[in-house]
Amino acid sequence: MRLKLLYLLRNLLRNPRRSLLTCAAVGLPVMIYVLSMSVVDGVERFLDNSMTQLRLAVTQKTSIINPLPAGYRKKIAALDPSSQRIIAVCGMSWIGGRIEGDPRPLSTLAVDRDAFISAFPEFQLSEDEQAAWMRDRRAIILGRSTARQFGWQVGDRITLIPSLPPYSPMEFHVISTAEKATDPSTNWCHHAYWDEIKKQSGYPAEIVGFLFIKCATRQDMDYYRVAIDDFFANYSDATKTQDEKAFMNEFITQQFNLPRNLSILSAVTVFVAIMAAGNTMSMNFRDRFSELATMKALGFGRWTLFSQVQGESLLLCLLGGAVGAFVPYWAFNYSPLRNFTVPLIQQLEVTMVVCLQALLISAGVGVIAAAWPAIQAWRLSVVTALRNQE
Amino acid sequence: MVSIDIELHDVRKVYYKSTLAIPVLEGIDLQIAAGEFVVFMGPSGSGKSTLLHLLGGLDQPTSGSIRIGADYLEQMSETELTRWRSHHVGFIFQMYHLVPVLTAAENVELPLLLFELSSRERRQRVELALSVVGLAERMEHRPSQLSGGQEQRVAIARAIVTDPDLILADEPTGDLDAKTSTEILELLQLLNRDFGKTILMVTHDPKAASYGRRILHLEKGILHRDETNQPIHTSR
Repeated sequence: MRLKLLYLLRNLLRNPRRSLLTCAAVGLPVMIYVLSMSVVDGVERFLDNSMTQLRLAVTQKTSIINPLPAGYRKKIAALDPSSQRIIAVCGMSWIGGRIEGDPRPLSTLAVDRDAFISAFPEFQLSEDEQAAWMRDRRAIILGRSTARQFGWQVGDRITLIPSLPPYSPMEFHVISTAEKATDPSTNWCHHAYWDEIKKQSGYPAEIVGFLFIKCATRQDMDYYRVAIDDFFANYSDATKTQDEKAFMNEFITQQFNLPRNLSILSAVTVFVAIMAAGNTMSMNFRDRFSELATMKALGFGRWTLFSQVQGESLLLCLLGGAVGAFVPYWAFNYSPLRNFTVPLIQQLEVTMVVCLQALLISAGVGVIAAAWPAIQAWRLSVVTALRNQE
Repeated sequence: MVSIDIELHDVRKVYYKSTLAIPVLEGIDLQIAAGEFVVFMGPSGSGKSTLLHLLGGLDQPTSGSIRIGADYLEQMSETELTRWRSHHVGFIFQMYHLVPVLTAAENVELPLLLFELSSRERRQRVELALSVVGLAERMEHRPSQLSGGQEQRVAIARAIVTDPDLILADEPTGDLDAKTSTEILELLQLLNRDFGKTILMVTHDPKAASYGRRILHLEKGILHRDETNQPIHTSR
């Protein structure tokens, strides 16, 4: 066993440059796969969560960037006087943000204090966190990746400068790092505090970016999706109401169609890896034709030669795959890269599940790449091989 | 270990290229006693290497019978032949065919992996085999660090480490200079004389052939002449 393993390992070092290039040829596509699938994974988790949350998104009919009157909250809530079918109406405005002297952009949403916990139960805030959220108008729930990125912890006081006028610094108290939220990077603060900041500088405060309506059942969602738009049809600010998944999905696919494009990209890169590794394994086999024939002459069986060729390919591809999978994992979870200002990098979560998937794919690449050389080794005729050599 | 005798009866071998049949051996009848040193000679294409491959279980005859000891090779499956080779035959090739990434000791140890031996037992056998060929001091050297003659000695050690009945050598000195060739041939003679191994060797070289005790001449796939020889080189 020791000698067989030694033989396997030394074979990898027989042509170090070729092995290194093959590792890279597998590792880089795997890295692209990991990054692409991390984006797809994040989008899917986000959309899956949206689907299960029974929420409607209400925006201004003409454009998502036009705000809605703040009074719409009460008008929508009044559509269900019993409060049995509409659980919560949560106003929301994007305020972005950054910290003084640091160009890195943040994503912060101002939300209604009272409605937020009911409308977004997936945050699973603890009782202490809920109490802090309700008690403190400067409370902020940080996205966990943002918190890691800046080294912020619960209890810290932070000051953000909004990305919208009046750009006045807002001081926050960190009450949670939202470990269970599906969006790892967005921060959440009180809408009332944002309104107060705007009022102090004379900006209109009685507006809200969009509204999220938490419904009791899917039937209620179907009903209010139509009822809300009908109700505001003759208002100057008519609404467009969609379920949250449709809203998010439409937004994502219209902007980038990321999941489909990235899935195609991943498939192509894996195919490239198979071709590169397959080429190497074919060359390795050709170079060692007579050596394998000698082993067969000595009494090593077909399975031994088959597994020898497969083993080398598997090991080589797993090495490349491990580098390709765990370098991004390390980079996005532990390295200074987390602090880069590129928004995609900030929001990307490379999970262990995606890395393990990538390793599995690397193993598959190894097996497929060596399939033909391994079959040739299986069928190898000692006499033919030795005659060709000599 | 007791050596085994060999008997061939009407052995024929035909190779096919597309639909073209190329007869290589045309009815070989032959008996070789245990412990003989037999040399096969003949021009290129006479079928001597093919005959050696058949005797080593590397190939199957088209027809005829090959009995080695109690085993009839033509009746064996490929798996059975593979196992049979590992237990009964040691091969020495013209180009040595050592594994370049393994040391001399590891190369010699390779065929022992097919036996249920402890690593200590394997090590002892490797040391003994390398001592017999005079390379005990070069155990940890890789093939690239050895001369051609030393590489062939390692190949001989690999061939004898499993203590086979038969040693088959296909032009073992074909790639070596005269002095080294003599050393290798004396080594084969030693294995035959002192260890009782049956040695079957293919060569073009009459000088190399003179080390054998019996010389078989093949021509166009037929056993042309069977000579008994008095080996003159017995310096070891």
